[in-house]
Amino acid sequence: MALSKKTLIHMYETMNKIRLFEQKLQEFFAAGEIPGFVHLYLGEEAVATGACAALTDKDMITSTHRGHGHLLAKGGDLKLMMAEIFGRSTGYCKGKGGSMHIADMDLGILGANGIVGGGGPLACGAALAAKYKKTKEVALCFFGDGASNQGTTQEALNMASAWKLPLVFVNENNGYGISCPQCKSMAVTDIADRAAAYDMPGVVVDGNDVLAVNEAVTEAVKRARNGEGPSLIECKTYRWRGHFEGDACTYRCTEELEAWMAKDPIPRFEAKLIESKTLSRKDAEKIKADIAKAVDEAVAFAKESPMPETSALMDDVYA
Amino acid sequence: MSTVAILANPSSGKDIRRLVAHGSVFDNQEKVRMVRRLILGLERSGATRILYMPDGYGIVPRALNAISPSIPVEAVEMPIRNNQTDTSIAAGVMETLGAQCLVVLGGDGTSRAACKGSVAVPLLPLSTGTNNVFPLMGEATVAGLAAGLVATGRLPREDCCYRSCMFDILLDGEVVDLALVDAAVYDDVFLASRAIWQIDKVPQLFLTRCGASSIGLSAIGGQLRSIRPEEPRGLALRLGEGSPVTVTAVIAPGMFADVPVRSITEMAPGEIFCVDVSPGLIAVDGEREVEIPRGSRAAVRLNTQGPLVVDVERTMAAARENGLFVNRHNRKEPA
Amino acid sequence: MSEKTYLQALNEALRQEMERDGNILILGEDVGRFGGCFGVTQGLFDQFGEDRVKDTPITESVIVGAAAGAAVAGLRPVAELMFVDFIGVAMDQLFNQAAKMRFMFGGKAKVPMTLRMPQGAGIGAAAQHSQSLESWFMNIPGLKVVIPSTPYDAKGLLISAIRDDNPVVFLEHKLLYGVSGEVPDESYAIELGKADIKREGADVTIVATSQMVYAALQAAEKLKADGIEAEVVDPRCLQPLDSATILDSVKKTHALVVAHEAVKFGGPGAEIAALVAEEAVEYLDAPIKRVGAPFCPVPFSPPLEQYYIPNADNIVAAVKSIR
Repeated sequence: MALSKKTLIHMYETMNKIRLFEQKLQEFFAAGEIPGFVHLYLGEEAVATGACAALTDKDMITSTHRGHGHLLAKGGDLKLMMAEIFGRSTGYCKGKGGSMHIADMDLGILGANGIVGGGGPLACGAALAAKYKKTKEVALCFFGDGASNQGTTQEALNMASAWKLPLVFVNENNGYGISCPQCKSMAVTDIADRAAAYDMPGVVVDGNDVLAVNEAVTEAVKRARNGEGPSLIECKTYRWRGHFEGDACTYRCTEELEAWMAKDPIPRFEAKLIESKTLSRKDAEKIKADIAKAVDEAVAFAKESPMPETSALMDDVYA
Repeated sequence: MSTVAILANPSSGKDIRRLVAHGSVFDNQEKVRMVRRLILGLERSGATRILYMPDGYGIVPRALNAISPSIPVEAVEMPIRNNQTDTSIAAGVMETLGAQCLVVLGGDGTSRAACKGSVAVPLLPLSTGTNNVFPLMGEATVAGLAAGLVATGRLPREDCCYRSCMFDILLDGEVVDLALVDAAVYDDVFLASRAIWQIDKVPQLFLTRCGASSIGLSAIGGQLRSIRPEEPRGLALRLGEGSPVTVTAVIAPGMFADVPVRSITEMAPGEIFCVDVSPGLIAVDGEREVEIPRGSRAAVRLNTQGPLVVDVERTMAAARENGLFVNRHNRKEPA
Repeated sequence: MSEKTYLQALNEALRQEMERDGNILILGEDVGRFGGCFGVTQGLFDQFGEDRVKDTPITESVIVGAAAGAAVAGLRPVAELMFVDFIGVAMDQLFNQAAKMRFMFGGKAKVPMTLRMPQGAGIGAAAQHSQSLESWFMNIPGLKVVIPSTPYDAKGLLISAIRDDNPVVFLEHKLLYGVSGEVPDESYAIELGKADIKREGADVTIVATSQMVYAALQAAEKLKADGIEAEVVDPRCLQPLDSATILDSVKKTHALVVAHEAVKFGGPGAEIAALVAEEAVEYLDAPIKRVGAPFCPVPFSPPLEQYYIPNADNIVAAVKSIR
């Protein structure tokens, strides 16, 4: 697999887009301008970016409560996302869903999900539809280390394998289920080990290396499209922020956070791109500036947008 | 005091070759069971102390959940970074602490990491990896016996071990890395998932050893020549289109490649072979590892002073010769 | 038109819809060659093959969730759980996922799936295989809840449920599978949310669902002997609920008894009674009475089970207490 310059730059843009989007949310959440609560994806950008870069627009994903990165990487619109998170009527879900329920069927985004482990069964269904309709599309299920302990996830792994569904399970192992470290919640360190139980390939990759994620997911997608069934790819990563904004993170130490921040996936990738002359430093700065501007525009769009009318409350309960 | 060190890599056997080839998922629970048997073998061999590298999973502590060896089993104090430097650092620490044998559980990559830390202490590499040319695919209990016999000095090293060759990887004249089995020049600039399986991106390949039953990149040379691990010579191959010879080789578990071999040259100890690619990568023992920056010159040199490797078969044969496990009770010899 | 059982009517509905629409597939435990736990999918595997009539692992969460996922991805699945009681392990996929997707996503998704589940007591299947759980589903915005009593209704309502673009919970009663009635051979749809008056009468309205429709009709015959003409209204769907038909009947009869097999406390009767109390209390000349199961798990032993299940005599007694 030789990645084109276009793909490499696109991945660089996507990672920066996620980073700046989330940082902006962090800022506005702290300022009290965002209702509810948000789970930020900062630090994990390489996973969503590498994985979604292996997909087409028609491929489908199921996401998680920490879904902003997945949605942006799958092509989600900055303005519509920002407006939704601000609770505005112009948002993706007209203000009905918020941070944890953004979906875009046209982009194959079958929804973020407020239930840990909620996505696996849905992804099986999406993959089943693709297989049944012989579209050659695949479904990709993002799930966390916490979700890997839910019965729904294990059931989905089982059925996907038994039925050879075109499905790629991408585990984002950030080491914690809210405050509970992985060592307290499971007897294994590598969630990929569980793949063997379902007779599917299980692979561990550095989740802070976008190219490693992309290479593994690309191969898994290839397998899925060829009718060879599902794969499980575990991406070892770390969330820089707490489980939600406002989480004091008393359960982990600064040294651990700093060690992971030193493995920040964006400068790592940027250095490679510059070194390989895929990207000039000047272009990198321009990309970041353009994204910062687009994110600011998204915020302006959100803030200028109206709140939903109460008259819209009962819309879309039923089709 | 005879000390044996255990370096068990919790990350081996999980890379992308489960996806692109048909490698087994080598789960850590199986490593725990192997270490358990290894410790029982070491205990019986007469070793008096076991040191181990701590890891994020706790392979050795978990192994001890089910057994109570009579000899101390102690972790060494070292930072855990959860990458291959753990194994390199641990090997060095073990040498300093006087270990007389290192038992390394992993694949070719793990053994290489251990040798980066020490080549002075005899090494017994036990396979829990993917492509395993260097390590032994053998039973851990017996490996434990053999490692212990070497560490205790109950058998002389020269009867049990051989000195392996290795490659020095040079970048602008400096040694930056080593390879135990193979060094492959890889025409790409990204390490990505590290494992290599796309042979069309490999223009040059260097082998310290090869045989007809090898797996991995050494299988390519293995269909043309045979070099035993202890032989002080290597092979330099040029691969690529326009060659009259194509070799069918098992380059990963369940994965074949038809590899065009343009030339094959014998490497003598100390001889330097230049790498043509810059920028590019060198994969050592199957993993993209060394980056050749634009403008830098890389080279490969055969070094005969590689690790002293415990040969379990020879060691156990020597044990038999010396009757180490035969108790005679002054009764009539069996017929 | 010919005489068919409730089970045959359901089977015919599935067959005809699958012949009409290639996007319909069936998912469930033992729905394939085995023909379904109670035989509802009999013969469909042979006709449509294993790509469309899919035996799943025992994995209710994924049966329901995969139906929802396939529905948003463009199929029109019909999922079966062997017993409604098993929805407990799959509830998240139904009420948090399937039911809410459309609303949460601002109307962007369509979830055209049907979830068929047999419920009810009467076969000695005890507490985990005999419940009537319709009030659980009625309480979830986004779900439609269909609960047919006759073979005719079963076929027409299942066809509508399949064609509906929402998740529809379709509650069959095990004891009704063998009940026969006239069912047209051709395909027909009965609009969801339209009650059916199973018997006209002027003196009391009995709103009854599922199996209790038969108990109510029996009760009506007994009451007739005493000069009381009962009107039996079968809502057929609990969500949407045909309030108008119920209210019109009560305005005519001035008395209401609600009968269902679900536990009386918090059962569908509570909602119907509240509806009438809110909208038509001035028409009532007697208190509303509800007949439902006692507040205990379904017992196993036949005499206990028979005592547990509401019957015609209970309905007669309820009517007599106000008429």
